[in-house]
Amino acid sequence: MSDTFDHTALPEDELLAAEYALGVLAGPDRAAAEHRIARERAFATLVAEWEQRLAPWAAEIPEIIPEPRVWERVVAALPAQVQRSPTQGGLWQSLAFWRGLTLATGVFAAACLAAVIYLGVLAQQQPLVATIEGDGHRHFVATIDVKRGTVAVVPAAFTADATRVPELWLIPSDGRPRPVGLLRADRAVTLSLSGELAALVTGKAVLAVSLEPPGGSPTGLPTGPVIGTGPLTSL
Amino acid sequence: MDLDANRSLIAAALGRIPAGDRTALQTVYRLTSAKLFGICLRILGERGEAEDVLQEVYVTVWRKAADFDASRASPMTWLIAIARNRSIDRLRASLQSRNMDPIDEATDLADSAARADSALEGAQEHARLHGCLEGLAAHERAALRGAFFDGNTYEDLAARMKVPLGTMKSWIRRTMIKLKACLEQ
Repeated sequence: MSDTFDHTALPEDELLAAEYALGVLAGPDRAAAEHRIARERAFATLVAEWEQRLAPWAAEIPEIIPEPRVWERVVAALPAQVQRSPTQGGLWQSLAFWRGLTLATGVFAAACLAAVIYLGVLAQQQPLVATIEGDGHRHFVATIDVKRGTVAVVPAAFTADATRVPELWLIPSDGRPRPVGLLRADRAVTLSLSGELAALVTGKAVLAVSLEPPGGSPTGLPTGPVIGTGPLTSL
Repeated sequence: MDLDANRSLIAAALGRIPAGDRTALQTVYRLTSAKLFGICLRILGERGEAEDVLQEVYVTVWRKAADFDASRASPMTWLIAIARNRSIDRLRASLQSRNMDPIDEATDLADSAARADSALEGAQEHARLHGCLEGLAAHERAALRGAFFDGNTYEDLAARMKVPLGTMKSWIRRTMIKLKACLEQ
């Protein structure tokens, strides 16, 4: 492009942040900037600084009171409240039910273990449990059945994101995350572990959950923010 | 209303949302929805679209309130950025820009007479930004206005101001450098 102006007065990232905050980017350029905001704290800070510089301009836009129906629609779009009794979908689909269940994680995990022992499934390999926490919230509780090669993940305080899906990762002692599968905010899921993955499940491994585009991370590594992690512990 | 009191009311209410406090979200809505609706409507130009986006904005606020850091950002800055970005996303998805009228300097002069409504943002911050914008060349200011108020892309602005795309990119980038330097003085 014939662009004779010298941009060296500001680093490229700073200019990109300015362009994003101003809103002139479109298509893949805008998507790429959003991707970086979600992943790179330093870049997100540059964008926030530009938003702060430009926001006072909005003072020139007159206030217009929206119709009351907009607030009603906001309320209708919020996730179901925990306190409310399930009104649709039955108990099994009720997030409140699952959350209530997982509030007593210890009891739940112990009960699982008791059942496992009682059924005599437990041989040399014990199940491993991880509570995936972040930002003071317990997002998911995962139980790995090593013998069967499955991981059962129950949502706790995780709130669904309209545009991204939660993806589970296994991080063994080499520190490299391996994708396990996609989770659900509204119900428990059971994922199978490949033989290769199952071999990496040890007491030193960590489970993590990141937010990814629908369908999961396209790269095989987390691309969105990691919302919580939890070490695997044997009971 | 006292500006600082309003700011801290909004910040405090945002702080209660991550715990699931719906009345806190309602407080944020009550204090800020008229401003944010004005922004959505200005960018989108159509009431139904602006209402849809305003709804998305507050659902986003509900989900992302934990990301807001009162020690680092003003709550209005954070909210305005969400409203602008959601509106721009909607505009881009509709594959057309609302305002594609040619921009000339007369347009800019008419626009720059707009009176600031500083009920929520500090009047001082606005005056400072306005002073720096006044120091720009008319065509630079006009391009920035098209982007900020009409949600124009580089391509839109190049078409509206009848200059090559590369020229428009240079203008905007140079203008942002000047703006930052002025605001930091």
